Amino acid sequence: MDTLNAPPPRCDPPDAGLVEAVLQELAVMLEALAGDEQFNDAIDLHSLPLDDGAREQLRQRLGRGEIEARLELAGLTYIVETAYAGLWWVRHADADEHTVFEQIVVARVPPLLPAHGADIAAAARRLGAELSG
Amino acid sequence: MELLDFARGPALDFAMLVFVLGVTWRLVGVLLLPRLRDRSAPREGAPPRLVGALRAIVRRMWPRKEFIQVTLFSTINSYVFHLGLAIVVFGLAAHIVFIHDLFGLSWPSLPSDLVFGVGVITLAALVAALVRRLTHPVLRLLSGPSDYLSWLLTTLPVLTGLLATAQIGARYETLLAAHILSIAAFLIWFPFGKLMHAFLFAFSRGATGMRFSHRGVKV
Amino acid sequence: MTDSQPLGEMLRERGVSRRAFLKYASYMASLMALPPAAAATMAQSMAQARRQSVIWLSFQECTGCTESLARSFSPSLEEMIFDLISLDYHHTLQAVSGEAAEQARRQAMRDHKGKYIVIVDGSVPTAGGGVYSAIAGQSNVAMLAETVEHAAAVIAVGTCAAFGGLPEADPNPTGAVPVSKLVMGKPLINIPGCPPMPQAMAGTLVHLLSFGKPPELDALLRPLAFFGETIHDRCYRRQFYKRGLFAKSFDDAGARKGWCLYELGCKGPVTYNACASLKWNGGVSFPIQSGHGCIGCSEPRFWDRGGLYKALPTGTGERRRVVPIAAAGGAALGVAAAALARGRLAAAASKEAK
Repeated sequence: MDTLNAPPPRCDPPDAGLVEAVLQELAVMLEALAGDEQFNDAIDLHSLPLDDGAREQLRQRLGRGEIEARLELAGLTYIVETAYAGLWWVRHADADEHTVFEQIVVARVPPLLPAHGADIAAAARRLGAELSG
Repeated sequence: MELLDFARGPALDFAMLVFVLGVTWRLVGVLLLPRLRDRSAPREGAPPRLVGALRAIVRRMWPRKEFIQVTLFSTINSYVFHLGLAIVVFGLAAHIVFIHDLFGLSWPSLPSDLVFGVGVITLAALVAALVRRLTHPVLRLLSGPSDYLSWLLTTLPVLTGLLATAQIGARYETLLAAHILSIAAFLIWFPFGKLMHAFLFAFSRGATGMRFSHRGVKV
Repeated sequence: MTDSQPLGEMLRERGVSRRAFLKYASYMASLMALPPAAAATMAQSMAQARRQSVIWLSFQECTGCTESLARSFSPSLEEMIFDLISLDYHHTLQAVSGEAAEQARRQAMRDHKGKYIVIVDGSVPTAGGGVYSAIAGQSNVAMLAETVEHAAAVIAVGTCAAFGGLPEADPNPTGAVPVSKLVMGKPLINIPGCPPMPQAMAGTLVHLLSFGKPPELDALLRPLAFFGETIHDRCYRRQFYKRGLFAKSFDDAGARKGWCLYELGCKGPVTYNACASLKWNGGVSFPIQSGHGCIGCSEPRFWDRGGLYKALPTGTGERRRVVPIAAAGGAALGVAAAALARGRLAAAASKEAK
């Protein structure tokens, strides 16, 4: 028996109650976002005792939206818009595609996507230097 | 963690020492006393003395018809907490591990949730016994510090065991230490109070049975 | 050597964007059980901070703590800690050696007086004047005292530094003591574990960098974010424990079904660490998942707890020796008591006869 790659033994069905609870919390946060564009919060999936079954169930319930982004920054990050505008599934993976941490971000745009002010300023300087040099 | 180490180590060692020493002392001391031999002729149809003894031990597990009404509460309640204690002590997996470590014996355990439920009932019955002792005028008159101490040291292990399982009141290692220490206290007190009835009841009932079966009317 | 540039600029020059910085901060906030919103604040403070000077002292240790931190499994993300700190002195990782290394340490202590962090792994021997462990001719006790004098904070990583660990175990021939016994008057954080979880070490450093103060600690000075729950609290085999399904020996039928390892000595219920939730080697597994009970390696004196395979409900003392002695003693007392009673009875009987 290949115990290294075998999934860990399970004795419970996926915790359906927990999935519902997460969805409830997301609903509240999405309401807040609907009222205030600047709202920005997230649910950290690592902090919850979600097993693989429950996580999959949550993914199914949230569905997929129009945007799928792949970020290459200190390892790979995948941002998938869910079927609910404003809810984004953000998964950070390492070089082996192993998930390092995961969040459901509630925001107009996940904070990781927009270019940062300091980076823009540096980029402007760089482009200017390249054009003049 | 220091408390837990003390509880599992020196405390249990000392408690075992006192318990074994005390129980052996009392049993040997009583059993080696000179026997009162009744040299009169036994009555007609008297059973052998040992049979008479065993019969009394078994028959007195339940009160005689005439006394059932008056002793109903203490009979039922005592059975509830005695059986409850037996189920909890011998049915919980963790306790079987403890006994196996001491004697090398083990047997299948009961589901932990079931044992917890029985533990709660046992605690309730023990509290009921105390209330009875405090409110019944005769019992209150007869009861002294030794009786209340025996009650307390029997109830504390049940209470601390339930708290440890439910993890209420403190960190688990503290609750487990408290539970083990309460067992140590119970074992230390055991030989010196009426908890000794656990061993002595057989001998006192047996002696009565021997005597009664020798003479008089068949009982 | 530390730079005088703010970290944000320094990292950008190395090709690490502020966005990557924010990702790292989010990861750390998640590990430290901080609200996700804290990530932006952390990224901001760290970007404006200067690279943190860290002096790592290795005493009676096995280098496991360093291995744990350095052999990260998400290198691109977790190696960032080495960008945020300047490891000015570390026996295993630094390039220089010998007297040059000691010079580097003293230089860093001068340059960053009052601002450097000291990390210690390994316990400190004190017997025989501290002669059992010396570096560059200086005893560990002396090196520790000299180095922490102007430190901003001290972090004792690994159970040896935090609680004494293996060197301190019975009979402790070198007089090993934990760092807490020798360091007074400085903020001290213990990150125990044999070895400690890399996330615990990195997360604590990041917290110090972002917020300028230690994270919330428990009574043993361990960060609550990683040591607030027991292994038992988050163990995936908990349901088996509740249902009373235990493995009786290694690799028996129950063990193969993944039953609880309580009876095989698992110390999970009394051990505080994050192994059951974060797991080891990049989240692959942890001892219980691999079929071995928790040995309680992040708790003080875990080596002297009566044995790794002695289940928690069992005693750890010498009961098997005590019981026969007590029985013999009790029997002797009983015989004496009965003899006394018989003597008195005989005396009373003979007096009556007279």
